[in-house]
Amino acid sequence: MIHAKQLVKSFKGVRRVDEVSLTIEKGQIFGLLGPNAAGKTTVIRMLCGIMDTDSGEVEINGSSVEKAKHDFGYVAQHFGQYGELSVWENLKFYAEMYGVKDEAHLEALLERYQLGPYKNSAAGALSGGYKRRLALVCALAHDPQVLFLDEPTAGIDPVTRKLLWDDFYALSAEGKTLFVTTHYMEEAARCHQLAFIAEGKMIAEGTPKSIKSALGDVNVFTFKQSYSPKVTEVIQAVAGVQLTNQFGDDLHIVATKEVSKSLLEEKISMVQGIDVELRETEPDLEDVFIALTQGGHS
Amino acid sequence: MIMAIVKKELLQLRRDPRLMALIIVMPLLLMVLFAVALKLEPNNVKMAYLDADRSFFSDMIKTGLWSDGYFQMYSVESRNAIIEEIRSGRAKAGLYIGNNFSAQLIENEQPHITLYVDGTMPSLTTAMKYNSSAATDKDVTNDMYFLDEDAPNTVIAENPFVMDTDVLFNPDEKETWFFLPGVIGVLIMQVALILTGITIVREREQHTLEQLFVTPISKFSFIIGKLLPYVVITLIDFYVILGVGWFVFDLPQPSSHLLLFALAFIYVAVMISLGLLISLVSQTQQQAMFVAIFIIVPSILLSGFIFPIEAIPAAVRVVSYLLPFTYFVEIIRGLLIKQTLLVDLLYAYGALLGFVVVFVSASVMKFKQHL
Repeated sequence: MIHAKQLVKSFKGVRRVDEVSLTIEKGQIFGLLGPNAAGKTTVIRMLCGIMDTDSGEVEINGSSVEKAKHDFGYVAQHFGQYGELSVWENLKFYAEMYGVKDEAHLEALLERYQLGPYKNSAAGALSGGYKRRLALVCALAHDPQVLFLDEPTAGIDPVTRKLLWDDFYALSAEGKTLFVTTHYMEEAARCHQLAFIAEGKMIAEGTPKSIKSALGDVNVFTFKQSYSPKVTEVIQAVAGVQLTNQFGDDLHIVATKEVSKSLLEEKISMVQGIDVELRETEPDLEDVFIALTQGGHS
Repeated sequence: MIMAIVKKELLQLRRDPRLMALIIVMPLLLMVLFAVALKLEPNNVKMAYLDADRSFFSDMIKTGLWSDGYFQMYSVESRNAIIEEIRSGRAKAGLYIGNNFSAQLIENEQPHITLYVDGTMPSLTTAMKYNSSAATDKDVTNDMYFLDEDAPNTVIAENPFVMDTDVLFNPDEKETWFFLPGVIGVLIMQVALILTGITIVREREQHTLEQLFVTPISKFSFIIGKLLPYVVITLIDFYVILGVGWFVFDLPQPSSHLLLFALAFIYVAVMISLGLLISLVSQTQQQAMFVAIFIIVPSILLSGFIFPIEAIPAAVRVVSYLLPFTYFVEIIRGLLIKQTLLVDLLYAYGALLGFVVVFVSASVMKFKQHL
């Protein structure tokens, strides 16, 4: 279990993390979602005790971070293992830091993450995906109950990403608590619990489903439309339209209830010169995310 | 296209203001410092003397030496004390005038006086010998010729007295004896500063430090664990280099192997802890290297390793005494060449220990506020 109360951190007089509070139950996968520079890494570093808080409290499994160090593992955003050492030497090193001597357990970890064949390869020579697996394996060496993962899938190919997520679910099913930061929407949707952070402030939290209601009383329309700045411009000019968001060949329009579907259809048809039919749809997490971080939501 | 690269490099340099300061300010500072400080010709070289004669004539010799401004003289109690003053480093030269000097002078018996010079620094030895000629100058000796009315056939020597020169500690004035002990210190300083100077900053640059801080290891254990291998490696290095000095270049054995080991250990500790401090205050490996080099260069030039400390103006000498290497040079020459007693080296050992305390405390303080 992770519990944080009113975390505050300033750099050079600017508040980068502003009174962030969190409670994450055992076995949950918690996603901290936010744009770059929102304060995600600072939050995770404070939770792990790498960085001191200006004020606020952190508890992991009911103890202070210092006392809970055997209870959690951390995978940093950057590759933080020793490139000159082999996969096995890195794993052994981290195991020894926690006083873990059970080599069978370590071997099993390597197998679980398909690192067996690379046991004696220099860690620095691994590909990005395998480096990430090694980092995860090192963080799991002491079988922690809580795992912090700072953008674990950034820059990772889709196959490895899926593999990692399958594994996160498996870890969660084993009763481990996972704290994940990300800015990928499809990943956010996979979390049990979510929190949005922007400019150091928590702006929404809940399940992926409940968070969609954070947009408030709006309609979301979509229709087939390849990117057209002209169409976007016309729609955004309509009073009550909060957001347009292009998804490949689909355009999402988030608008208040007062904006009628027919009005929008009419406007678009005028620009396009053909009849257009809008479909009403569920808001996407990305719609919520962009609306909230742009401050478009009132 | 080349210009694009040039421009990019310059831009990158400009974004590292600390490095820019190191590149521009440090050389300027050192240039001025060295220009002011470095002279081969010292003034006020300390000379311990015993004038047992205490006569008008012996005073003339002292005045002759004194008035030149090269030697600064002070009196000691015995002939032995002169040598001990030089051994301890309090004096670089000595003068002994026996009690029957004037009696022999009047009898035209050409008395001998003894000039002692420290031979550990051959260039200084030569300079001291040269400057001591003021004692036998015509101005001094003019009034020292005595014609005996009763014995008109007495041969009057060209020089009324003879000054013998006794070169102490390094009688053959071997340059290697002078340089090698200091060279050992320079090499150890390089190895230790560069090995440890980058050690922490490298972990930070490669993001391994962040990953380590999550583990249960305490910062203190982390530092000890990081430094221990380098202490051992550098100590081994010390004895390897010294061994070459002994077996290949005929360096003398120390007065005490225990004291020599103590010196090696403390000096290595000073350099390793200084390296650690550099590593903690530097943001990049590049900065750390520059800082290390800017400590090594003045150490070589201002410590008395090459140029006599006596030649450095008092204001700049403060810098000399802020450099650990100065004390190392003092001790190792004392142990290997001059057989100096521990009592006379205690302050230098104490100074080195003081550096360890300061560097370690500063590092601990710096490390606490890290990340």
